[in-house]
Amino acid sequence: MPDQLNLMQGTLDMLILKAVSLGPLHGYGVLLRIQQISGDQLSIQQGSLYPALFRLEHQGLIASEWGESDNKRKAKFYRLTAFGRRQLRSETDNWNRMASLMAGILNTTPEEI
Amino acid sequence: MKPQLRSYLNSLLRRNSVESSIENELRTHIELRAEDLERTGLTSAEALRRARIEFGPIETHKENIRSSLGLRLLDEFRADLRYAIRMLRRSPGFTAVAVASLALGIGANTIIFTLAKGILLDRLAVPQPNQLRLFAIIRDRHNSPLHYFWGDFYRTPDGRSITHSFSYPIYQLLRQQNLAKPVLRDLFAFKDLLGQRLTATIDGHADTVTGQLVSGNFYQQLGVQPALGRAIQPSDDAAPGSGLVAVISDGLWARVFGRSPSVIGKTIQLNLIPITIVGVNPPGFTGASSVQLSPDVFLPFSMQPTLIPQRTGSYLQDPNQWWMSIMGRTGPGVSDEAVRSAFAVWLDQDIRATVAVPKDASMPGLVVESGSQGLAEITHDYAAPIYVLSVLTGIVLLLACANLANLLLARSAARQREMSVRLALGASRSRVLRQVLTESLLLSSLGGIAGFALGYLGRNIIPHLLSSAWRPAPLNARFDLRIFAFAAAISILTGILFGLAPAWQATQTDVNTALKDAASSATRRRKGLAGKSIVVFQVALSMLLVVGAGLFARTLINLNTTGLGFDPHNLLLFSIPAPPARYPPPQDIALHQRIEERLEQVPGVQTVTLIENPLIAHNISNIAFLPTDQPKPTGDNLNRDVNGVGRSFFETYRIPILYGRSFGPTDTTNSPRVAVINQSLAHAVYPNIDPVGKTFVSRRHQGDPEAIYQIIGVSADAKYDALQEDPPPTFYTLYRQAKEEQFITYTIKTQLSPAAILPAIRNAIQSIDKDLPLRDIRTQTEQIDASISQQRLFATLTAGFGILALVLACIGIYGLMAYNVARRTSEIGVRMALGARARQVLWMVLRESSSLALYGIAIGLTAAFGLTRFIRTMLYGLQPTDPATFIRAALLLLAIAIAASYGPARRASRIDPMQALRHE
Repeated sequence: MPDQLNLMQGTLDMLILKAVSLGPLHGYGVLLRIQQISGDQLSIQQGSLYPALFRLEHQGLIASEWGESDNKRKAKFYRLTAFGRRQLRSETDNWNRMASLMAGILNTTPEEI
Repeated sequence: MKPQLRSYLNSLLRRNSVESSIENELRTHIELRAEDLERTGLTSAEALRRARIEFGPIETHKENIRSSLGLRLLDEFRADLRYAIRMLRRSPGFTAVAVASLALGIGANTIIFTLAKGILLDRLAVPQPNQLRLFAIIRDRHNSPLHYFWGDFYRTPDGRSITHSFSYPIYQLLRQQNLAKPVLRDLFAFKDLLGQRLTATIDGHADTVTGQLVSGNFYQQLGVQPALGRAIQPSDDAAPGSGLVAVISDGLWARVFGRSPSVIGKTIQLNLIPITIVGVNPPGFTGASSVQLSPDVFLPFSMQPTLIPQRTGSYLQDPNQWWMSIMGRTGPGVSDEAVRSAFAVWLDQDIRATVAVPKDASMPGLVVESGSQGLAEITHDYAAPIYVLSVLTGIVLLLACANLANLLLARSAARQREMSVRLALGASRSRVLRQVLTESLLLSSLGGIAGFALGYLGRNIIPHLLSSAWRPAPLNARFDLRIFAFAAAISILTGILFGLAPAWQATQTDVNTALKDAASSATRRRKGLAGKSIVVFQVALSMLLVVGAGLFARTLINLNTTGLGFDPHNLLLFSIPAPPARYPPPQDIALHQRIEERLEQVPGVQTVTLIENPLIAHNISNIAFLPTDQPKPTGDNLNRDVNGVGRSFFETYRIPILYGRSFGPTDTTNSPRVAVINQSLAHAVYPNIDPVGKTFVSRRHQGDPEAIYQIIGVSADAKYDALQEDPPPTFYTLYRQAKEEQFITYTIKTQLSPAAILPAIRNAIQSIDKDLPLRDIRTQTEQIDASISQQRLFATLTAGFGILALVLACIGIYGLMAYNVARRTSEIGVRMALGARARQVLWMVLRESSSLALYGIAIGLTAAFGLTRFIRTMLYGLQPTDPATFIRAALLLLAIAIAASYGPARRASRIDPMQALRHE
């Protein structure tokens, strides 16, 4: 197993939004999807996923309904709402700007000042 | 915001299904994970174990989920509430005292607010009452060209008088001028017939009703639609005597007609005139003059000459009689000053056009008032008392708060360990604060609910105290949502107020010292201070209330023991209004003579007298008194108070005749006019000479020619209209020498009880005319009591508040001292072990409590000195800083303080040093 990164504060919400934006998922599915697309590099405590899911649903960014999982188990599926989609887009933009800004700052060499 | 609210409501309302759904979801997760792990080759039990470990602490996650849903706060509140309920249940004595004192405080405030709302806030039940403007005239008392008023009037501080009365011709002129050049929307007019109640014969049953005369456009301009039938229309008011129609009040409709719709078109008799009911007012509508009570019937002005005929002719044509009130609606952007100046010019013109104005007369001025409360007589009469009562009840509530703060403070000190444990276990200070405040808000809500119930039950107490046996209460106490909101608001406010100190103290707890055993004695001094200042505050507030109670009680005593100048005992009063349709003047005089003579024959009746203005009833007549052979009295006031009486007036009222003689059988309708004057008048007009035999000129009633009266005797002084006033210079004329009936009252001297003699009196009157009603039956003592009902109300209420204050102060002082003694047990033990004697310990405790009381008394006295001058006008026979009252109140409070702390002090003096030292 490669070295795992700890999740940065406030990024879990974005990861969840991104995960469910690719198609409806149940809670465990969200976890698997994040691990899959991150290449298993992020460590997420499984239980802490749920308060985030409920918070996002409470805020109206995602919606849920009960359905059946692949192996015939009743599970709650989450999908992105239109509001959530807008929110994801703006947060992605913010993140990208912030990331490139931070990268630029952190890569500054003494010669450049 | 919307999805949040929906999700919040969902989780609130379907809490159980939300919880089980969370449970299911988390279980599914773990099972799915376990299945995946199983596939990697683990046994199912091991896979499940691993899945659980990976998932982490389930309960913590659930708690975080609830917090995500916003349920955390609610859960905590619920827990706090449950805990608070448990705490209150554990000490039922404390809870009972706290809730009872709050209930009394909040209940008293609710009652007073109900009245204040009715008196100060309620508006006429018409659309946009704030547009209404009411006209009044302000005039000099002596030099005015206007003389004959029938209606309210108020003195201004500069000695002029304000009245809302106008003459009918003036109303018509002003209305035309306004229509030609509009300033207000159309003017309309009304007149309450309260003083002259109407005799109503409905289905053969005779009763009396109150009426209001209204102009034809009254309903139209007020914008009021009848609940049933039609309103009074301009056509009803077109020609005198034409409008034989009436609109009745909702109250009369319910009381007499059982809300039957067939009342429309029904004919009833008012003062023996047949009148057809055409409409019923909507409930809540009270006419234009009062917000409190509605007249029973509304009639067009055109009915005045027929309904209440006057000897001087129709008031509708009489420019000298000022009797009706004028209102109009103002439009947007029209200032009151613009209205006033426009109408003032017209009024001046119209007065000069209708009445004779002497050269040196001072013309009356016009005042434009808000008409939103009608004539607002109740507001005039009760605004000041209501403010005083509001302040007093506010103090009572503050006192209850202080008491609770004190009790809670003692409790919170005792709960310091509990708070420390909470803080030590990780509770934040705001969390502890919230919990303590929840407890005090629970207490105040309980008190508030009980207080509101108390206020609802007691809402009629004050109107009842102000009513009298023969007259309805002048106020009503209508409950509405505003009162509930008020009670809720003051409950929450008091909860926060008395909860703050203990809450603050709870969060100040220092975990380290508080958890150690010895901490309590080390921190005693600091902790005691808050409790002590609260007790001082309580004593000061109690002092204010006790002083107030003392002043009002002494006022009532002074009024009850003041010399009347006549004997009020064994006198029965009633009135017999003669229907003018059957007894036009002067037949009414003849009728009353017959009744008087007939009543004298009734067994048990000692003497009978008629009286124009019953004594101590706030009625007075005032007319010119011009001695023919004396210099014209200095000053411009030629008028003197006068009362028209029967022959045996002085005998009946036991007023001694000092010189000359009383009225006798030789004084008849046709004999020369005679008068008796009282001693004050004799001193004022005939100093150093015998007035008997002298003559003066007077005009007893409007329309009478001036006549010469001869003085036949001088009587001792007797009070006339009010207990508070000294006997005014008064002359008495003989009723049967008058030309027409004024408002007449019969007084009978009898040793029998009213119940015993009334049947015989009724029979006697009905033998003369069976349609004559017997009204307003009361004894002279009841009459006097009714005239001081406001003073009695104040004495009763403030005495109640005073006692409540003393009880609360007692509880406060006892609580503080008992608590202090308990805390200082070991200290006192040490003192005693070192040789202090029981007496010394007793004194030590008593000294502490009485010094607290003295501080409070000093502050209370200072405040009372400053505040009591606001009630100066409500007192009688003593100064607002009456030293006797102040000293007695101070001594009483000191005694109460010592008595309240005697128990704890005795307990302290009996402490056994050995036990006390072991106790530590």
